[in-house]
Amino acid sequence: MKLLVAEDEPKTGTYLQQGLSEAGFTVDRVTTGTDALQHALSTPYDLLILDVMLPGLDGWEVLRLVRASGREVPVLFLTARDRVEDRVKGLELGADDYLVKPFAFSELLARVRTLLRRGNAAALQTQLKVADLEVDLLKRRATRAGQRIDLTAKEFALLELLLRRRGEVLPKSLIASQVWDMNFDSDTNVIEVAIRRLRVKIDDGFEPKLIHTARGMGYMLDEPDAP
Amino acid sequence: MKRLSLTARLSLMFMLAVTGVLAAAGYFFHQLSERHFNELDQHTLHEKLRAGEALLGELQAGDDFERLRPRLQALLGGHSEIRGFVFDAAGRQRFPEPLPGGADPRLLALAAERDGELSLDGRLWRAEVGQVPVGQSTLTLLILLDVTVHKAFFHTFSGWLWGALVLCASLSGLLGWALVRRGLQPLRDVTQVAASISAKSLRERIPDDSIPAELQQLVQAFNAMLARLEDAFVRLSNFSADIAHELRTPLSNLMTHTEVALTRARAVEAYQDNLHSNLEELQRMSRMIDDMLFLAKADNGLIVPDAKPVALEALCAQLLDYYQLSADERGVRFELSGAGTVQGDLLMLRRALSNLLSNALRYTPDGGVIRLAIESGPGEVSLSVANPGTTIAPEHRERLFDRFYRGDPARREGSPSNAGLGLAITRSIIQAHQGCIHCDSAEGWTTFSLVFPLRRAARR
Repeated sequence: MKLLVAEDEPKTGTYLQQGLSEAGFTVDRVTTGTDALQHALSTPYDLLILDVMLPGLDGWEVLRLVRASGREVPVLFLTARDRVEDRVKGLELGADDYLVKPFAFSELLARVRTLLRRGNAAALQTQLKVADLEVDLLKRRATRAGQRIDLTAKEFALLELLLRRRGEVLPKSLIASQVWDMNFDSDTNVIEVAIRRLRVKIDDGFEPKLIHTARGMGYMLDEPDAP
Repeated sequence: MKRLSLTARLSLMFMLAVTGVLAAAGYFFHQLSERHFNELDQHTLHEKLRAGEALLGELQAGDDFERLRPRLQALLGGHSEIRGFVFDAAGRQRFPEPLPGGADPRLLALAAERDGELSLDGRLWRAEVGQVPVGQSTLTLLILLDVTVHKAFFHTFSGWLWGALVLCASLSGLLGWALVRRGLQPLRDVTQVAASISAKSLRERIPDDSIPAELQQLVQAFNAMLARLEDAFVRLSNFSADIAHELRTPLSNLMTHTEVALTRARAVEAYQDNLHSNLEELQRMSRMIDDMLFLAKADNGLIVPDAKPVALEALCAQLLDYYQLSADERGVRFELSGAGTVQGDLLMLRRALSNLLSNALRYTPDGGVIRLAIESGPGEVSLSVANPGTTIAPEHRERLFDRFYRGDPARREGSPSNAGLGLAITRSIIQAHQGCIHCDSAEGWTTFSLVFPLRRAARR
């Protein structure tokens, strides 16, 4: 997967490039809008990450020209300003997502993956399997090492989310919005409790442990020594 | 162009009014006396004309005109201000003395016109003409009255009137200026006080006891504005100080932590631990900035909620479903009763209610019950969230919705996730929905009540 990051603030740009590269993406980085446009038009990227305030051309202008050239590449905007009209402008121009600085890197990563996944809808599996954990999404049934596991509706939704995005660290805010439709940070320990309960059902008494905590960032479901 | 000052305007208006009244009075007096004099003159002329006509009427055809001359002389010749002339049909002058060569043409012209005015021998005369038939012929009688004095009187009168007008205009202008200046003194006093008020002296007020009634309202409005300004200013200063304090704590943690970690080489786990701890502080700061931005927007009226029907019971049920997990841990139960729909913004209302619920959850002792009650009245919908817990003293209750305010100062550093902005945000959201929120606390129960007035769209 090839990504273009256009960010003029050197530190932010470097960290974004490092973080995304380590997450397995090929990342090109430019610091001006003009370079961003040139790259976007000459190279087939899977995703553009544009800062709104760029020297040369601003992010909106880059997006407009990229769309005008007929390219449908997904675009994620980064901005330090959070005004409704800015969001509306970005979305009207055809941006796919919008992140306000400061943002958590795990949040950015989660959104990047969502946008990249949007393209290939083939990911609609009904049977999910990690190690000896098997989940049938149609029958809404989960088994571990052949043993049936009873889950509440929310627990099942949480497990499905973790499974669909296995190997990704999911921030608490993302879990809250996907499972409970809570689109804001709240200062409760609800997600911790929910994960703890799910863990008791999925991991207690089984090996290997599948649910992992990325401290300060979120949670992830994966086989520990997956290749 | 510079606008005229109030003093100049009022003085000018005063001057114009005085001059106008004076000019009108002068004009009417002028007209009246002119009319009076005219009538007097007319009367005198008429009398003489009638007498002269009667005298001439005695003449028979062929009679000698000379027979009448002494009587005419007696009638018309005795006065210096009256003159009489008699002309025959051929235009010859027969009286006062016959002129063989024809009469003065100006007199003849006047006689033909039957009346008018004439300047003769340096004096001004007014004329009246009568025709007397004598046999086949006609005699024309012309009477002149000296009106020089009257004309001179009006001339002088006009002169005086104009002079008086100019004098009065200047005098009234000056007088008006002095009066207005004096009258506006309180306004200048008020201005002076107002001009001397700066951000440092917002406590000052303009004394309104010795101020004229017209200025009372202005002064009261100004004082009220000062009070609001002072209030907002104090809040802003406190808010800034609070922000500095609230950000300083995590920043100082971050700095100390990082510096200590860097003082010597450590195991990888120690660095990881350090970075994780830093991340938590940073997340807390980031959330605080988000919350403060939300409040700043709300203060500037930039929070414009949707107005779509939101079923409160469904919203509450969804939130309780979310918080249930957290509540179960501590054996806390929720009770929800009633139903009601308001016009509003689902996301914002959810955030407002979520703050109330997490707040209630935080202060409810283990095993307690949190009661949510929705009531739908004719003009309003209310929602109350009641939780058992320590009664909040009234002086704390009033400040509960202030930013960064926490009921218990000792708890300030204890709960890092709670920045003390939740209730302020809730209030901002409720107010953006034209609703109000208040808190009651008595006998071990604390209740937050929200009241939403039903808008017209909701009653449809």
